[in-house]
Amino acid sequence: MRAQELFQEHRRSVLIRTDRLMATLMVCQWLFAIGLALTLSPYTWQGRIQSPHVHVYAAVFLGGAISSLPIVLCIARPAWLGTRLVVAVGQMSWSALLIHLSGGRIETHFHVFGSLAFLAFYRDIRVLVVASLVVATDHYLRGLLWPDSVYGIANPEWWRFLEHAFWVVFEDIVLVFGCLESIKEMKIIALRRAEAELLSERENAKSIALDRAMKELQSSQGALVRAEKLAAVGQLAASVGHELRNPLATIRNANKYLSKRIATANVAANLNDPKVEQFLTLMDREVTACTKIISDLLDFARERAPVPAPCPLRPLVDDAIGIVPPSNVRIINAVPADLPVPAIDKDLFRQVLTNLIQNGVEAIPSDRQGEVTVTAEGGQSSWRIIVTDNGSGIPEDIVPKIFEPLFTTKTKGTGLGLAIVAGMVKAHGATISVESSASGARFVIELPKGAGLRAA
Amino acid sequence: MRILIVDDEGSLLVTLVANLELEGFEVIGVQDALSALQLVREQRFDLVLTDIRMPGMSGVELFRAIRSLHPDMPVLLMTAFAAEALIEEAIQEGVFAVLPKPFDIEHVIFALLRALRHPVVLFVDDADDTAPIAEALCRVGLAACVTPNQEATVLAIQQRRADVVLVNLAMPSSGAALVEQILGVDPSIAVIAISSSSAPELFHRVAELGAFACLIKPLEAARIVQLVARARALPHRPLASLRPAITNGGLT
Repeated sequence: MRAQELFQEHRRSVLIRTDRLMATLMVCQWLFAIGLALTLSPYTWQGRIQSPHVHVYAAVFLGGAISSLPIVLCIARPAWLGTRLVVAVGQMSWSALLIHLSGGRIETHFHVFGSLAFLAFYRDIRVLVVASLVVATDHYLRGLLWPDSVYGIANPEWWRFLEHAFWVVFEDIVLVFGCLESIKEMKIIALRRAEAELLSERENAKSIALDRAMKELQSSQGALVRAEKLAAVGQLAASVGHELRNPLATIRNANKYLSKRIATANVAANLNDPKVEQFLTLMDREVTACTKIISDLLDFARERAPVPAPCPLRPLVDDAIGIVPPSNVRIINAVPADLPVPAIDKDLFRQVLTNLIQNGVEAIPSDRQGEVTVTAEGGQSSWRIIVTDNGSGIPEDIVPKIFEPLFTTKTKGTGLGLAIVAGMVKAHGATISVESSASGARFVIELPKGAGLRAA
Repeated sequence: MRILIVDDEGSLLVTLVANLELEGFEVIGVQDALSALQLVREQRFDLVLTDIRMPGMSGVELFRAIRSLHPDMPVLLMTAFAAEALIEEAIQEGVFAVLPKPFDIEHVIFALLRALRHPVVLFVDDADDTAPIAEALCRVGLAACVTPNQEATVLAIQQRRADVVLVNLAMPSSGAALVEQILGVDPSIAVIAISSSSAPELFHRVAELGAFACLIKPLEAARIVQLVARARALPHRPLASLRPAITNGGLT
């Protein structure tokens, strides 16, 4: 089970940490013991033994012997049961050695309690048991054989051993409870972590499922968009096809007529037919119309990125007016000649203006004195280019649709003109809006300063 | 033969009129439906050919107005739009044919001549359920009649009165042989084969002979009106290349 695994993992990490701590403690104790032997022991045993230096050797060699095996095991076999049992034996031996080195001082016995507390870090009762047994054995044997080295006096009372043992057992009880409690806590923590993991796994699974659903949604949306695009292409093809059919029908008819006229024996006489010349002109005009439809379509499909450059607006409007086929509608260029020069794509903007002017011209009923005015203002932070006509205006319900491709109210036309305008204006980082009333429509292009440059 | 042509496209109108005049028709061309209607009221025409989508009054509206004035005058529509609900409506109301733009002049002439003949839709069937269908066709202004036998059929065809013939293949003296016989007399006839049940092999056989369409009973008037209009808008005989040479021995 996962909780068990997590518990073992946690326990192992506690054991390794404690092994490391104990190894360090072993080294420190060794150094401390040598120091102690060098400074203290000559005086503690004064008068009884001639050479105090034997304690220094004891500290160095005996201490080394006690410390080295636990240290080696802590490094080589961390978290192993054997290691911590050896550490327990070693640590309690240190207590014994230090007590001996201090001449059996009663205060040095506190080391025993400190050591047991340190060993309790293992949270393993077996370690405490082994340590306690070592202390007990040590006290008992030395109490019998060499009481000075453990109690500091040559003839302690017979119950002295039991008194020491009682306090050790007393501490052991406290520590055992501590160990059991912390093991219980570790188990609870492991269980909680396992639950949390399970929960997060479920969350994970959910989020993976969500991700997958999301991707599926995206791909189906992509398919939908593609289908819509395809439908739009179909509509476009139908619209353009229809627009081409009328001029093609004319060309076909004219061609048929001309070929019949030429196919007879009396060619010269037939060529005097005024229709021959008329039809030739007509064919040329219709071919131009076809070309215009196709280039409109290409303009719409291509949507090239604008290449802005400083371009004075007034001459550009003149250019655009020149392209619009002549009609009885008056086209007025009211752009101030001293207007600051914006950075725009000249060719694209000329077409924008041409389409807007053409649109205005076509919006004016033939019985009205038509007028289309182009003007512009601003130049500090932005420009406003305004195309106004005095036509019959745009019905309110179709205003939102006029910039959509293929939308047209004319019996002739592909419905691309204003869609091209909207596309090119947007490519310049500008916006276009329209206001309409019964006395005409007003198209306003808002061109922010530097927008054209940014768009490039 | 006086023909009125209506189309808002000036150049198309001019070239179409010129071509038809060259073929010997007397043609008047106008650019809007209202003037056309005025002319139809004032003068006599044998046929009207009109565009559908025009500013103001549409070609279909013009057709309806003419229908109420002169129920017998054939009206043909022409359009650049492939599909439009208006077209289907006009067909169901008995327009003679709808010609798709851009068309060949020969195609127009073929259709005009056919319309000017005031052809009849002929049902060759002895079953009782055919007469109501023929009556339904008559109600929308398509001349239609039923002949119960082979002799009457051949006679009608020889007199060039029928241009669409619906043949019940289940009749005793009918089947593929009759289809062959009809097409032998007049290959421009659109033959629609009818069967009471699905008969793939027989249908295949008559299609090879040059039948225009095959139908399984029960017949629907709307479907037949649609097929008749389609047949009358065809430039040439369908499946002509597939049709084997037909001997007309025993018929003339």
